[in-house]
This record gives sequence, structure tokens and C-alpha cells, in this order.
Amino acid sequence: MSKTLESARKVLLTILLALAIGAVFIIAFGENPFSAYIALVQGAFKGKLHLGTTLSTFTPLLLTSVAFCVAAEAGAFNVGVEGEVFLGGIVAAYLGVNWGFLPVPALMIVCFLGAMLVSAAWAFIPAVLRAYFNVSEVCTTILMNSVALQITSYLVSGPMSAGTANAQSKPVLVTLPQLMKPSNLNAGIFIAIIVVVLVIFMLYKTTLGFKIRAVGKNPSHADYVGISSKRIFITSMMISGMMGGIAGCIQVLGAYGYFLNNFAAGLGSNGMLAALIVRSNVLATPFMAFFLAILNSGAMGMQQATGVPKALVDTITAVFIIIATMDTLFEFKKNSTKKKAKKEVTEG
Amino acid sequence: MMKVIIDNFSNIFNITLIYATFRSAVPIIFAALCAAITQQADILNIATEGIMLIGGFAAVTVSYFTGSWFLGVLTAMLLGAVIAMIMAVGHIRYNADICGIGMGINLFAVAFTRFLLKAVYNTNGAFSDPSIKPIPRVNIPFIASIPVIGDIFNNWTVTEWFVLILIAFLQFLFYKTVWGLRLRAVGQFPEATKTAGINVTMMKYEAMLISGVVGGLAGAHLSLGYSVQFVDNMTNNRGFMGVAAMYFGGANPILTSIGCLLFGLADSIGNRLQAYGIPSQFVLMMPYIVTVVVLAISMAIKLSTNRRKESSLTTAAVAEEAGS
Amino acid sequence: MERQAAYVCLSLVIEKDEKMDEYVIEMKDIVKNFGTIQAVKNGQFTLKKGEIHSLIGENGAGKSTMMKLLYGMYPIDDGEIFVAGKKVEHLTPKSAISLGIGMVHQEFMLVNELRVVENIILGFEPTKGLTIDFDTARKNIRRYIEQYHLDVQMEKRVSQISVGEAQRVEIIKTLMHGAEIIILDEPTAVLTPQETKGLFRILHNLKEDGKSIVFISHKLNEVMEISDRISVMRQGNYMGTVDRDETSPVDLTKRMIGREVFLNVNRTETTPGEKILDVQDIWVSSHKETSKIRGLSLSVHAGEILGVAGIDGNGQSELVDAITGLRPVEKGKVILNGVDVTNKSPKKIRKAGLAHIPEDRNKRGLNRAMSISDNLSVVGIDENPYSSHMLLNRSAQHENAMEKIKEFDIRPADYTLPASSMSGGNAQKVVVAREVSLGKKLLIASQPTRGVDVGAIETIRNTIDKAKKQGAGVLLVSAELEEIMSLSDRIIVIHDGAITGELTAAEANETTMGLLMMGNAEEAKKEEGEAV
Repeated sequence: MSKTLESARKVLLTILLALAIGAVFIIAFGENPFSAYIALVQGAFKGKLHLGTTLSTFTPLLLTSVAFCVAAEAGAFNVGVEGEVFLGGIVAAYLGVNWGFLPVPALMIVCFLGAMLVSAAWAFIPAVLRAYFNVSEVCTTILMNSVALQITSYLVSGPMSAGTANAQSKPVLVTLPQLMKPSNLNAGIFIAIIVVVLVIFMLYKTTLGFKIRAVGKNPSHADYVGISSKRIFITSMMISGMMGGIAGCIQVLGAYGYFLNNFAAGLGSNGMLAALIVRSNVLATPFMAFFLAILNSGAMGMQQATGVPKALVDTITAVFIIIATMDTLFEFKKNSTKKKAKKEVTEG
Repeated sequence: MMKVIIDNFSNIFNITLIYATFRSAVPIIFAALCAAITQQADILNIATEGIMLIGGFAAVTVSYFTGSWFLGVLTAMLLGAVIAMIMAVGHIRYNADICGIGMGINLFAVAFTRFLLKAVYNTNGAFSDPSIKPIPRVNIPFIASIPVIGDIFNNWTVTEWFVLILIAFLQFLFYKTVWGLRLRAVGQFPEATKTAGINVTMMKYEAMLISGVVGGLAGAHLSLGYSVQFVDNMTNNRGFMGVAAMYFGGANPILTSIGCLLFGLADSIGNRLQAYGIPSQFVLMMPYIVTVVVLAISMAIKLSTNRRKESSLTTAAVAEEAGS
Repeated sequence: MERQAAYVCLSLVIEKDEKMDEYVIEMKDIVKNFGTIQAVKNGQFTLKKGEIHSLIGENGAGKSTMMKLLYGMYPIDDGEIFVAGKKVEHLTPKSAISLGIGMVHQEFMLVNELRVVENIILGFEPTKGLTIDFDTARKNIRRYIEQYHLDVQMEKRVSQISVGEAQRVEIIKTLMHGAEIIILDEPTAVLTPQETKGLFRILHNLKEDGKSIVFISHKLNEVMEISDRISVMRQGNYMGTVDRDETSPVDLTKRMIGREVFLNVNRTETTPGEKILDVQDIWVSSHKETSKIRGLSLSVHAGEILGVAGIDGNGQSELVDAITGLRPVEKGKVILNGVDVTNKSPKKIRKAGLAHIPEDRNKRGLNRAMSISDNLSVVGIDENPYSSHMLLNRSAQHENAMEKIKEFDIRPADYTLPASSMSGGNAQKVVVAREVSLGKKLLIASQPTRGVDVGAIETIRNTIDKAKKQGAGVLLVSAELEEIMSLSDRIIVIHDGAITGELTAAEANETTMGLLMMGNAEEAKKEEGEAV
């Protein structure tokens, strides 16, 4: 069996197992798992609103999941994408509200560049701490997510507040074109796809991509051949940060039109989930991100239709990832059956 | 901000700050010890956060339904062990990436407790009720009557006293007992340990199991000792702070606990500052920033001591000095 | 106490069974596969009580694997193992130990951060109440130190002791565990000739005390000196057992290799040219005290090979790392090709004219997860022809790979396979091919033939000699005396991070070099005088 087929089979088995465990929970909750799952699928695809919502959920997930992969290619475990989305968003909101003196297209570009710059700078901190002081980036990025959340929360409830009851910024002066109204879907999805394609191209076709992969696979080899593992590690973390920033910018300029407090909660961790399920395979990750988007937006539909809370779908997703990280779970079974078969042959 | 601190210096830095610091630090100490046990076996227990959260929910639930805080704590420890064993089997038997499965457990814990809040108590966000029996506080009249000592030591919860015992116990366990020696050997050179006839896999499972029990206890203390309620995602990154403190202390229980006290101090000063009009966000982010800074500094110090130890220059100078 | 009783019982059992069966160990028709690789195809081995039995063969012949199977490190796929005449199944290190089998591994199984005494008792800790009883432990260890002259410093951390001492710690460990059968896996690979003699004295003591010893080696002179019987393995197959007195090195070589091989490496005489590398009084850090370099100078000229001899861990790795920019130089200067490259990045140093075959091909030399083609072109990947305008040029990479694979006979020839699919010899050929073909002024070759089969050794050594002929300066670092002596024009010997002697190729002999490697410069001079 080819390698891709093999991993596809594994992912499929994992999905089935996770759905089965979820079904047990749903039954325990007193609902019918089949109707719940049907409601979930309908919630994700039925009608313009639902399909649009799924796609607009997919947009930031696509970016955050691939952002995680880029860092993972260089050997980093970047949990900090979420914080980078927050900061990218707040920068886009600040520029979008206050830099009205620029013509609209220029303002749009400035918003994206600003978001990328600040998010990259934010990712630079844990990257340097890891590269030069050996501080676990897992730890620092998790902690820094909370800091980023609090900074943005302070800004939109204080200096940048629109003065509404909800903590949010004033509306930005430049927005991305809306699609499939009344959903949140916007032209950002095309930006996200283009960015992801470029990043994948970068990883496999450019010298920088080669270096990132070389460092991720064996940093001391990289240093020895003259590729600075520290610099490349930092670079890949910053690229990862930039992607987070773009995601934040798209959410602010596209999905909301303003900065909504705590809007990015879960965007980073869900992206990370998507990547982890397929072991940070950058080609498979976008599909996983799409699958999680279906689960996420479908869960809302399921909650409305059946009363099964959305938290349950999140639980199933988490079970999904726990099973998926177990490398040899399904392999093991296959091997033992193979061994048995072999034994039978020799005995026969 | 500085002005506020200076103006209210005596109100912020007074004797009650000592207990306040300790009180904020205890949940983190439990978490850090949970992480330290596995770290000695070279397993990064990033799921401390999730184990705590599930422990916290279990403790509140059992205490609420049975009216026994003790059963609540016991259940939390048991569930902590179960979660840790799931992780251990995934990591050790099925080769799961420890960060991956750990984050999976954390996400599971948040989602599952949120689901259970809805399913069991039909509420979102938080659950508190007078029939939740908290972990009792130890009131020693004799101590209470002594002025300063009374302020500091009186009225601790049972688990706050217990954490001191736990620190001492783990210190003893790691460095004085056969099990501790084997555990450290497993963490540092598993192959060598295996050739000495020690079952490395078993040792790892044991470490994970004990870590899970301590993690569950951490959660129980948080929801029945530190507060008396369960709040959605109430661990609020304390598990990660514990992991950070564990790095800070190099998995040595005493040093690790000192790291936790630093976070506790930042937290309790922050809380006092809030009363003087400093925006809550700054107060809330303070422990995280302190953690990152402390972590960075401690690792930098570790690196530079290492560098000094490895240097060809310094030791020669010392040798020359000794010679002359 | 309890374990000593068990131990007495065990020796009784062995004695009793001996009357029925003269072998304490018998391994029959052993088969072991690792994935698709057949490590042992047909393994046979017997051991008599109180003998020293050598197991010899080339690298990868399966001799270490055989003994690891006996020690229960891996399960056997097929075959039978008898200990003291009784068939044993499902061996684990723990059960092997309880059967009286001990093993000193090629890579020491010692925990660096723990003290010697802790390492020795690990797994067999005497206790007093809840705590470890270190007093009893020390008392027990002292007995072995005295009985067999196994000098060790119990309170030092393992990271602070020498290799020879670490080996003695390992031997004490096996004895403490009640070993009657001691397996030593290539024990002399890391020792000087003098230390080897010391080890042999210890082995004789053990033998006289009735212990049975398995000695794994590929050094024929040592095997001829120490063994009672010798078994040979080739490519996973058993090639027979002979008494020492009935065989000769030539006969053993034939069995080992299937033909008589003399490494066909001829040193080319050249006239050295300009100075390529000038190392001026450098000081380099290390985690080990004996590996710290404190004021070392050397120079390499175009068209010469400077050999650096020394026992592993005396600063060779640190020296190479410092020159190549992989470790900071704390004091002093490194001048390469007229450029001051002190503490410059590896990339800049390579630009100034460095090619480097590192000592550890798996950790440094190769990226095992990447393809053979990528590994052959990774140096200079961001320059023409492999890259242009920041884009990779795959076809240039592949052309280069095909060329090198043909020139160096690298197998498998499919360059898209990951580097991890190659054997040790072929993997090393990839590293050598990549580095040598850069045509740089300076070639540093560190342990270039370690863990490589005979065929590849010849290719690699000839390639290094050719580089010299073409005008490169070569710094050859090796723990193999024979390699240093057959290739070098000049030789320096280092001990404790300092140069203890410099010799010309003509002056060098094993005794002098051995003494210098131990740091006995004066004795070496005396020896030299006597030789003359």
C-alpha cells in the first residue's frame, strides 16, 4: 500500500473512531447520534448561510493550520499562532480606523503589512528565546497567547473602544468584499488560499524552504553544512507569525469589519489541531482544516436543531486528535494480523 | 503605575502578602510537581493543565453530590491518574508525540468539562452551590494568637499544608530512594537503565501514574480549596505556569516550588494593584509576563553557568590560583 | 545479602550441569532480522566455563547482535539459546542478569550525570529502610576493586572519569550483578595499547577466578593474544570456531572476509606547499575536563596530510569543531588560507576554503530524513548550480547525484531514497563524495572510516590521499593508529587537549604513539632512543 493511501486510511479510521466515541456521549446526553450527525452535516452545508459560514470558518483555520506546519517544518512547536492572530487583528483595526488619509487600496495593503510585521515580531520573541537560550517555545508561546489576548482586550475596551457595550473597535474604513451574504464569507478566503499556496511553494521549491526542512530534520547537520539552524528556526517562526497576522487581518477587515474582543479564541488551537492530526504534513493540513471547519460550523447547526451542545463536538474533535497522535495505533493491529498470517503459512 | 505603587506601598507590601503569595502559588506548585515527576523520566507533561481541569470538575461534582470533600479529592486524583494513563499508553505504547497528545488532552479537558457543565448542571460558564463541601481549613487557636505567625500560618486549607509534605516527600523520593535513582536514570539514559535490568517502560508508566494523581489533586485544590466552584477553563494556564516553574527549577521539587512562589507573588501583587485602578488586563497578564521573563532568565543563567563550567579559560585560572 | 545467596545457588547449578554439558552457553541456529535487514542469518556460538572466547568479524558481521540477543536486548526471531544446558526463552536483560550473564557494551551504558557508585548499584541497590544504603554499596564495590585491581573513583560523576576507568566501572557493574559470564563488545576500540594491556591483565584475573569471557573484536593481534578459542562470523553467518593455537591471523582473515585482503592504500610522497591552516594557541571549551583544549597550535600545508592521533575524548572533536566554526574559540586564532576565520560562521569558513568530513555521520554528516540527492548537494545549496533566484534547481541536484553515485559506487543508486536507507559504508561515501569534490584548499577528515566496511575503507582512504595529491592540505583525525600511520606525512599526538608529541611518518611506531597518547612524552622519548 502506498504511503499516502496508508495515511489516508489511518485518518479515516481515526475519524470513524472519534465519531463512534462521540456517539456514545450523544447517547449519554439523551439524543440520537444519527440525527445529531445529520444535523451537523446540514448545519455545515445546507443553504447559502451555512455553506458560507463553513467557508468563512475555514478561512482563518487554513492560515493558522499551515502556520503551525511552517514552524513545525523547522522543528518548532508554535502554539502561539492564536496570539499572533489577535495582534494581527488589532494592528489591522488600528490602521484601518486611523489611517484614513491613505487611498483605500493602499490602506488595505498597509493593514496587511502592519499585521504581518507585528505578528512576526511577536513570534520572534519565543523563537529567539528558544534558539539562543533553549527556552521551550511550547511554554513561552502558550503564555504569550494570554498576554496577547489581554493586550488586545485592554486596547478595545480602553483606548480603541468604539464605546459600545461589547468591547470592540470602531469600524474599519476599508473592508474586504463580502460573498454569499448573509454569511461572514469574504474575499479573504482567496487571499488565504493564495498565501497557503505560496507558502507550500516556498517550502518545496525554494532554497529557503530547503533550508527550513533541513533544519527541522537535523539542526546539527544544518549547522555543519553552513545553514544557520538558529536563524532558519527564527525565520520559520516569523513566517508562521506572519500567517497568523494575515488571518487576524482577514477576520477584522473581512469577517467583522471591526476588532471584536476575544474574536480569535480557538482559531490558533483549532489550526494546530488540524496540523497535528496529519502530523504537520503541509499538503494534507488544508484538508484537515476544512474538515474541522465543517465540524465547527456544523456544530452550531446541531446545537440549534438537537440541543446537543457545541462543546460536545469540540470534545469529539479533541478525542480525534488524541487518537490521531498515536502513530502506531492502527499499524499495530495490522502488523499483528500479518504476523499471524505468516505464522499460519509457515505452520501450514 | 509606579506612582500608584509608591503611594500605596504599605498597603500592597504588608504581612498579608506572604500568605496571599503562598495561596496563589499552591495550585501552581501542585501543577509543577505533577510536571516534575514525569520530567525526571524525560517526559514533558504538557497535559498538566488538562489533568487539573478534569480533576477540578470531578472534585466539585463528587463533593456536590456526596457532600464529602474527601471523596471529591479522591475522585479527582483517580481521574487524573486515568487521564495520565491514557496519555502514557498513547505516548509509550503507540508512539504519540508527547506535545501533540498533551495538547490534545488539554483541548479535550476544556471541551469536555464545558460539555459536562451544560449536561450535568445545565449552565454555561460557572457552577457554584452551597452544597459543595470545600476542603476544610486548619484553625490552630494557639498559632492564631501569635501576632505575625498567626497572620501567616493560620487558617490554611488541608491541601495547603499537604503541599509542603508533598514537596518534602518528592525531594526524598527523587534523591534518596531506589525508585528515585532509577527514575532519574531512566530520564537521563534509558538504554543504560534497561541494561541494568530495569523495566524502563514500567518506570515511565509509574511516573505518569503518580504525576496524574498529583495533577488531579492540583485540580481538586483549585476547585475545592483555592475556591469553591467550577468555572469554565478555570485553570487559566496555571498548568502551563507549573510546567514553566518546573523548567525553572530543573524538576527539583524544592527549586521548582520556589519558582512557583515567584508567580504567586506576581499574581497577588497584581490583585492588590487592581484595587488602585490599574486596568484588569495588565494585572491579568502580569503572571504570564513574569513567567516568560523568569523562564528566560533562568535558562540564560543555566547556559552561562554551563558555559563557565565548560570553558577552557576559567578552570585553568582556578587551577593556577590553587597552584600558586 | 539475598542476592548473594541466589548467586551461590546459581554457581552450584552451573557446576552440576557442567557434568552433563560442558558448555555454559550454547546458541543454535540463531536468526535475527531488523526490518528488512538480516543481521544474523545463521548464528552459532558456544562458551566453556573459564575460557576467553573471541567472536570476530567485520563491521556488520552480526557479532554484536549475537551477543545482544544473548543478553536479551532484543528477542530472537528463530533458534535456541541454552544457558548451563537449560533452554531459555524470552530473555530480557533482567533475566539474563539473573542467569549470570553480564555485558560491557561498546557504548558504555553509564549515566553521565550520576556518580560512579550510583551507576554501579543501579538496578541492584542495597537498601536501609526506605533509603539507599550507600555504605554497604561502597563496601561491596571495594571488594571487587581489590580482588581484580579494578581501580575506580566511586564518588566522581561518570562525566568526569576517563574512558578506561568507565570501562572498569562497567566490569564492576557486571560482577556486582553476579555475572559468571562476561561479554565485552569491542572493549579495546577506545583504549591505548597500554590500557589494553591493563584490560587484558584484568581479564586474565577474571578467567583464573573461573569466569567465562566473550571478547568481541576485529583486531586480530589482540584476539590472538587473549583468546582460548575464536569464532568467526561473516555477513550474519557463522564461519567456524578454532582453537587459538591452531590458527593464524591469515587463516582468520580468510574466514572473516572470504579472501585475503590487504588494504591497498599507498601514501603518495608530495612536497608540501604554502601554509593552508594555521592554528595559533587556541583555547576551546568542553563539557569534559580532559577534552578542554588549552593552548594548542598546529599548521597544515598544501599537499600534506597532518595526522592527529589520540584516544577518543582528548580534545580531538573540540579541536575540529573549533576550526570549523561549530564551537567557539575562547582564545587564540585560526587562519585558513590567509583569512582569519576565528569564530566565524561555518558558512564563512567553508567559503574561505574548508571541506569537512565529520566524525559523526548520522548526527552531522547526513540528514537521514532527506534524500541521497539532497545530501549530496546540501553544501552550497543556495548557490549555482543548485539554486538560482532563490529557487531550487532539482535537475542540477540530480545530475550531481548521478555523477557522484557513479564515481564512488554508492548503493543504492536511487538518489531519491532517504539517506537512512544506506549502509554505514555507503552513507560515509556520500559524505566523502560531497566534501572532497568541493575541491577546497583544506580537508578535515575526522574518523573518516569509523564503522565502515573494508571495501569502503579502501575507497575512502584512497580518496583522501588523492585530495592531497591534488594539492589540498588535509587534517586527518583518527583513533585508528594504523589509519594515521598509513596516510599521514606528519603526525601529532594529543592527550588531555594538548600536543604530547610530533613525529614524521618514518618515526612513528605503535609503542611510541601509544605512550604519547597516554601523555607519557618522556617515556616515549626513551622508547624511541632504545628503538634506535
